[in-house]
Amino acid sequence: MSSKAPSASRQGPGSVPALLDVQDLRVRFRMLDATIFAVNGISLYLDPGETLGLVGESGSGKSVTSLALMRLLPPQPAAEVSGAIVFDGRDIASLPEKQMRSMRGRDIAMVFQDPMTSLNPVLRIGEQVEETIRAHREVDSTGARARAVELLRLVGIADPERQLERYPHEFSGGMRQRVMIAMALALEPKLLIADEPTTALDVTIQAQVLELLKKLTMETGTAVILITHDLGVVARMTRRVAVMYAGKVVESAPTGELFADPRHPYTVGLLHSIPRLDGDVGTLRPIEGSPPDLRREPDGCPFAPRCAWRLDTCWEQMPELLPLEPASDVVAEHVVACHNPVTPTEVELARPDRPGFEPAPPPRAVA
Amino acid sequence: MTSNHPLLQLRDVRVHFPITKGLLLRRVTGEVRAVDGVDLNVLRGQSVGLVGESGSGKTTLGRAVVGLARPTSGTIVFDGEDVWSLGRDEQKRLRRRVQMVFQDPYASLDPRMTVGKSIAEPLEIHRLGSRADRARKVAELLEIVGLHPSHADRYPHELSGGQRQRVGVARALSPDPDLIVADEPVSALDVSIQAQIVNLLQELQRELGLTSILIAHDLAVVRHVSDAIAVMYLGRIVEWSLAADLYREPLHPYTVALLSAVPIPDPVVEATRERIVLPGDVPSPAAPPPGCPFHTRCWLRDKLGNPAACSSDVPALRSIRPGHLVACHFADEIRA
Repeated sequence: MSSKAPSASRQGPGSVPALLDVQDLRVRFRMLDATIFAVNGISLYLDPGETLGLVGESGSGKSVTSLALMRLLPPQPAAEVSGAIVFDGRDIASLPEKQMRSMRGRDIAMVFQDPMTSLNPVLRIGEQVEETIRAHREVDSTGARARAVELLRLVGIADPERQLERYPHEFSGGMRQRVMIAMALALEPKLLIADEPTTALDVTIQAQVLELLKKLTMETGTAVILITHDLGVVARMTRRVAVMYAGKVVESAPTGELFADPRHPYTVGLLHSIPRLDGDVGTLRPIEGSPPDLRREPDGCPFAPRCAWRLDTCWEQMPELLPLEPASDVVAEHVVACHNPVTPTEVELARPDRPGFEPAPPPRAVA
Repeated sequence: MTSNHPLLQLRDVRVHFPITKGLLLRRVTGEVRAVDGVDLNVLRGQSVGLVGESGSGKTTLGRAVVGLARPTSGTIVFDGEDVWSLGRDEQKRLRRRVQMVFQDPYASLDPRMTVGKSIAEPLEIHRLGSRADRARKVAELLEIVGLHPSHADRYPHELSGGQRQRVGVARALSPDPDLIVADEPVSALDVSIQAQIVNLLQELQRELGLTSILIAHDLAVVRHVSDAIAVMYLGRIVEWSLAADLYREPLHPYTVALLSAVPIPDPVVEATRERIVLPGDVPSPAAPPPGCPFHTRCWLRDKLGNPAACSSDVPALRSIRPGHLVACHFADEIRA
C-alpha cells in the first residue's frame, strides 16, 4: 500500500507532509488457545509539532498501537502486525532492526505510565540519563554528565548534580516521571508517545507534569501522541483527538469540536459518564453493558451490543471511518465510523430522539 | 434509637506506625504519622466524602473506623459505644454494623468462592438467618446491585470488573450494616463502568438511607456521591464542609489548588481556567513539617509574605461559616 494514496485518515491541512501516517494497522496476538484481536484496522496521521490525544478504555488497543509504532511488539508468530506505518517518510514496518534502534529514542521517544518499572532500580539516575545521551550522540562522559545536569534542571529537579547520584527508589513518583520526560526529550525527538504519563500520579503532581510536558514539547517542536483514558487531560493538552473502541478509531476531530459536537454514540456515552467538577450534579448516564470480548473478531460494529442507536446493519457490517460531511470542500478533520450517527439535538439527551426508533435487536444467530 | 447523636464520632484520632531498624533488637527509630489528630462527626443517613492525595491518611482513617487499624490515641465512638474499649464479643457485634467496600474488585473476592458464598459469608460469621434465609437474601442483594440471582453460582473470574465491584457492594450490604466505608470503590474501573457504580452508590444511599464514608482521590466522583466532604492533608482534616459549598467556594488554600488541578473534560473551560500548580511533593508523614502541614507548598502563604504563624503554629479546624470548617490561619484572606 502506498502511503501517498488519499485516504480518510489523511485530511490534515494539506501542504505539510504528515510526520506520521498510519494505514489500516492491525495487531493480533496468538495464544495457545485463542487469538486476541487487539488492533483492528487503525488509520491515523499526525502533523509535525501536533498534539494528538488517543482516548479509550482498557482493551481499546491504544497502548498496543503505541508499541506497534515503536516496533516494540513481540516478533512473529506471537504478534501479527499488518498495515503501513510511515514515519517521517520512512516505512517503519520494513526498516531493518538496526536502523529502527537508532530511530527509537532519537526520533521517536516514549514515556510510560509507571515510572518505577521503566527506570532500572539498580542503576543511579545519572547512569541512566547519560546512557540515553551516549547511545545516540558522540560525547564523552563529561559531556554526557553536563547534558544530564542541564536536562534535570530543565524538568525542574533542584540540585541536579546531587540527584544524579541517587537511585530511582529515592525519588517520588512525580520526580521519577520528570526523569523519564528528561530522558525522552534528551535528544529532541520529532515524536513523543506518552502512554498514560500521569495516571499513576496524584492530581497536584499531575498538574505539574502536564504543564512541564506542554512547555517542553512546545519549545522543542516535538509532536505528541498522548494516550489516556482521562478526557479532562485530553481537553487540557491536545489539539486533536482520536477515540478508540475495540481496536478501532470510532471518531476523530479537533479537540474543541469533538467535545462540542460528538457524533459517535460511544463518544457521546463517554462524555455523559464522566463526573465533572463544574456544572450541575446530575445523575451520570453510564454506557450500559460491558466492553467487548477481544477474543472474537468483530463482524459488525463492536459497539453495537451497547449502542442505543444501532441499526440492523450495525450487527453485520463494520462502518468505515468517513468525513462527517462528505460533500464539503473544506478539509474534513471530523471523521466518524458509524452507520447511524448521533444528531446534534440528541447529544444532550444521550439517547435517540426519533419517533418510533428502537435499537435493532441482535440477529438470531448470535442470540 | 435516638438520632440526635452522630452515628460515628472521632475525637482526636491518631494512628502512628513505628519505623524500626535492626532484625533482632527492633529499635524504633521514628514513626509515620498516618493519621494525626482527626475530629469527625458522621450523622445518621449522611454520606461523607474523604478526599486527599496519596499519603494523606484517608485510607488509614477508614481502616481505623472499620476496626482494621488500632488508633494510637483518641476515641472512635460508634452509636454511643467506644469501639476500642469493648470486649471481643461486643466488638464483633459492632463490626456487623460497619462494613467495607474495597478498591480492587479482583483482589477483594476469594477466587475459590462462588459469588453467592462470598455474599453470604458475613451472614454466616454473624450467625444471621437460616440457610434458606441466606439464599433468599443473596438473591435479593444481587438484584439490588443490578446483577441477576443466577450470578450467585458464578465464580469471580467469570465476571467483569464492574460486576465484581457490584458483588463487593452486595457483600458489604449483606449483614444490614448501619455504616459503609468504601475505599476508592471505582478507581480501578474504566470510565463507562465507573459511572455505573457511582450511580449504584447514589441509588443505594437514597433508597436504603445508608450512612456512608466514601474514600477517594477523585474529587469529581466524590461530588456526585457525598453530601459532606472532609479534605485531608498529611494526616489531618484541613477543610470540612457541605459538598455544594466546598466546590463553589473552597476556603483552604490546599483545596483551592486541588480543585484547580483537576482537569475538566471541556476544552473551552480548560483554555480559560486559572490553575494553581503547587510546587514540590507532599512531605513525608514520617517527618511532617512544623506548624501548618501545608505551609511548605502553600501559595497563599507566599502571597501574604510568609507570615511566621504558618511555620510555627498548627492551625486548628475552626468555623469560618456555619458548617464550614477550615484549618488555616488566614482562611479569611483567601477571597482577597
